[in-house]
Amino acid sequence: MIPANFIYIRPDCLSQAAIAFAQMQKEGRAPLYYGGGSEIITMARAGSISPGAVIDIKSIPECNVLGLSGDKLIIGAAVTLSTIKESRLFPLLGTACGRISDHTNQCRITLGGNLCGTIIYREASLPLMLSDAELLLYGPEGAKICAFNTIFNRRMQLKPGEFVVQVHIPATAINLPYIHVKKAAQEKMDYPLVNVTALRVGEEIRVAFSGFGSYPFRDFEVERALNDRGNSPKSRLDAAMAILSQQAHTDSEGSGAYRVFVLRNILEGMLEEWR
Amino acid sequence: MRYAVGHSIPRKESWAKVSGRAKYTGDLPAHGTFFARLLTSPYAHARILRIDTSGAESLEGVKAVITGSDCPWLFGIMIRDRPAIALNEVRYAGEPVAMVVAVDEATAELGVRAILVEYEPLPFVIKPSEALAEGAVLLHPQLAAYRKVVDEVYPEAGTNIASRYRIRKGDIKSAFSNCDVVVSARFFLPPSDHFAMEVRCAEAAITADGTVLVTTSSQSPYSVRQQLSDVFNIPAGKIRVNVPFVGGGFGGKSSVVLEILAYIASKKLGGKPVRLIISREQDMETAPCRIGLEADIKLGALRDGTLLAAEITYLVDCGAYSDIAPNMAKAIAVDCTGPYNIPNVSCDSLCVYTNHTFATAYRSFAHESQAFCIERAVDMVARKCGMCPLELRLKNAIRSGDYTPTQVLCTPSIIGDLPQCIEKVKLLSNWNGGKPMAVGPNKVRAMGISCLWKTENPPTDAISGALVTFNSDGSLYLNTGVAEIGSGGKTHLAQILAETLKIDAGQVHVISQVDTALSPEHWKTVASFTEYMAGNAVYRAAQDILNQLRANGAEAFKCSADEIEVENGRVYRRGNPSSYIEFKDIVGGYKAQDGSSLGEPVLGRGGFMLKGLTALDKNTGRGRTGPAWTVGAQVVEIEADLKDFSYRILSASSVIDVGAVINPELMRSVVAGGMAMGMSMASREAFFYDEKGLLKTPNLRTYKLMHIGQEPDYRVGFVETPEDGSPYGVRPYSEHGIIGIPAALANALSAAFGKEITSLPLTPEMLWRLWVEGMR
Repeated sequence: MIPANFIYIRPDCLSQAAIAFAQMQKEGRAPLYYGGGSEIITMARAGSISPGAVIDIKSIPECNVLGLSGDKLIIGAAVTLSTIKESRLFPLLGTACGRISDHTNQCRITLGGNLCGTIIYREASLPLMLSDAELLLYGPEGAKICAFNTIFNRRMQLKPGEFVVQVHIPATAINLPYIHVKKAAQEKMDYPLVNVTALRVGEEIRVAFSGFGSYPFRDFEVERALNDRGNSPKSRLDAAMAILSQQAHTDSEGSGAYRVFVLRNILEGMLEEWR
Repeated sequence: MRYAVGHSIPRKESWAKVSGRAKYTGDLPAHGTFFARLLTSPYAHARILRIDTSGAESLEGVKAVITGSDCPWLFGIMIRDRPAIALNEVRYAGEPVAMVVAVDEATAELGVRAILVEYEPLPFVIKPSEALAEGAVLLHPQLAAYRKVVDEVYPEAGTNIASRYRIRKGDIKSAFSNCDVVVSARFFLPPSDHFAMEVRCAEAAITADGTVLVTTSSQSPYSVRQQLSDVFNIPAGKIRVNVPFVGGGFGGKSSVVLEILAYIASKKLGGKPVRLIISREQDMETAPCRIGLEADIKLGALRDGTLLAAEITYLVDCGAYSDIAPNMAKAIAVDCTGPYNIPNVSCDSLCVYTNHTFATAYRSFAHESQAFCIERAVDMVARKCGMCPLELRLKNAIRSGDYTPTQVLCTPSIIGDLPQCIEKVKLLSNWNGGKPMAVGPNKVRAMGISCLWKTENPPTDAISGALVTFNSDGSLYLNTGVAEIGSGGKTHLAQILAETLKIDAGQVHVISQVDTALSPEHWKTVASFTEYMAGNAVYRAAQDILNQLRANGAEAFKCSADEIEVENGRVYRRGNPSSYIEFKDIVGGYKAQDGSSLGEPVLGRGGFMLKGLTALDKNTGRGRTGPAWTVGAQVVEIEADLKDFSYRILSASSVIDVGAVINPELMRSVVAGGMAMGMSMASREAFFYDEKGLLKTPNLRTYKLMHIGQEPDYRVGFVETPEDGSPYGVRPYSEHGIIGIPAALANALSAAFGKEITSLPLTPEMLWRLWVEGMR
């Protein structure tokens, strides 16, 4: 049960959404953009947030696009994880989406919602960090396109009133070889203890992490160590782990030390597979 | 020929449940009902300096804000140590601090969020060993002044000890000096939750004539009546408790908590109906949970594996209030050794207060925790003796002629046949000798075994009853005080009634709800005692019916009652079955062809009171707390990855001596349910507390349960050694599937990884940590 009343707005176009947001903010209602709602509903129920208004972007046509357009794959922010998975358009992202929560929730959680959520894992961000993706944003100043990695730093760094409309992924990236390993504390479906997502661009390994630290990240130092082909796999692994170990995070899913152990096993397997 | 017993009939409540139409307390219509919500403590231990309720009171729709100062009473089923709402001090995070009553649930919750409380944090203790340490903060400095509700509870003033029980048998000192092999181990088990699917809910109202009406998701409607009557001085006849379907209890709904709060709220509103709704999170943190346990076990054996001596300390972690936990400390003292013939035993079992959610009964009444410690220690003895753990158990299994720790002399009726259970589970599980077997790079398969036993610890004078009425079609209604909590107890009772009357169980309808004004008292739906206690009452009601049918038959057939047979819903004179009267024509008395009326309407009644039970001797523990034991043996097989410490449970097997199989498929499913619950608890469920004494896993995002798809192949077998004095010889069995599973799983993992596991839950990280510690 969500005890407090709030206003629900469902605009049909991008500009209406931004106008509604500005209006609600002016009225002091602390509005939130609303995708699938799974996080807003559960957090409002628990009393950790209490928005006075939500603006549901699911009726905006641009937010529901899914398909190749020219040299880009375009995915609307309101497209659900299960739709992305079933489309098979970007196998790595599909795999990632298919391992977030359970099937029931995958039918509700949207790509934009997963990226913009407050729960620390945001696992859909990892494939985008690796694939030179861009974001189409909309806000008070209209539309703009930005590189994903400039906007996503630990979490989405959006300006007030901005929301994600689409994700654009270069078509050249979507069928590259990848590795996706998600280990949870004990369950198949759970938050990641460690999620390692890797993409191979030619001989270059790109790798990003969720669950291991307190936010998702890609680290170029780590990639440099892993790609240093002059060294043996073991010393490349040691070098990468020396950088990574500092970031290990402890919570109820597991201790930092255990995460280091799990991560090392995963990276070891990755280097073996991509020898 | 069997008419009903031994048949796998569907549960009586199946259609209501599978169609989603079964109504639980929270589903009932709420016309004119007010709603209450709770504000709870964010501290493990703190003084309440100030509560400002003005924000809540000024909300439109809020009818009352109730705090500890409105509730001067103390509650408790053994020691009256628990306030309904904390007064001046909170003793656990999650403890009720205020209750808001409003026109609807949302307004009540908004009221809760508008209350401001100022606390002064106090030192706290989370583990019993910390609570017993020199200088530990006392949860209940006034412990000696609390009222004791029962005789067998021994609070120790000036300590955190709610009670202590001692078992002394033989002479452990000289016995240990004769042992070739001695193992000692210390165990730690964190508390966890019952996690019934239905969140607890209660509603109360007071009628114009002062009758208190309570509707609740409870396993103990008669205990609700008793406690409200005792504390509030209301005549029991002016209290009426109604229990619709209960969506799982597992012991957690045997404690009386929400009912008291709902009554206080209704009283405050002049008797208007008030429904108290708690969140899943409060069901976990505010309402009682499972005990934690710390244990020191020392076992001594000869080189051939013969167990000679056991020295045991159990520290039952009851949390902030004692509830029924002292009785659990007593219950695991009574069964302290596990089902083994150990001639020399010394056991101290303490119930200790700590600053976390208080505990209540949990499926098998602490035996799942006790068995974990003993059965792990028995495996350690087997390893030291170089013996197969199954063979060592077979060698030491308690048998007829042996004495239990409380010095009860075993007969086949009292103890059943554990050796046969072990032999049978050996076949059922394809037991491989307990040695891990490599099945691939870094992959091994391993098996673990555990035995189980349990007797009961009811009040020695607990009662049950049954009333049976007939319908005009000759079918029957069975009315008992048993709450249907999902264990199918009422179906078993219907089968016992049908068998005794020699009719099909389809002719017996059960009243699924309990209403204390209509149903005869049944102590509580706990301790797997439905078939024994209510079953005996039903059996007697059936005999009562047979006598009345024979009397009517004698008049109708103009013969003596001794000559009347009752079978297949027909009454006839012996030797002449073709001339019969059907039930429908004789259960309401008999109308002869000339129109004259003969006999009387048939109304069945049966009552049952436990007999022959005693209190335990305070110094030696000698005594008998339950009529008999149920024994069994369980095996779990796992596949483990030695590199990353993950594992999969492949199969779980149980063979239990149930005395008699009443409903094979029902019994199989209830035992398998117990096994599933044990695997989930042992592999992932735990209440761990952080450095502030707050629950680390306070919701379903973080508290893990086993899911469908993670379950193994369940194998269930039965042994049938009848228990004298129980209908058809059936033994209590419905909790027991859980008891040995945590131990068997830990024994399998200990074998796979070559480490002695001494705690729960059995997560890959815990196994990894054991390995890391072994490297140091």
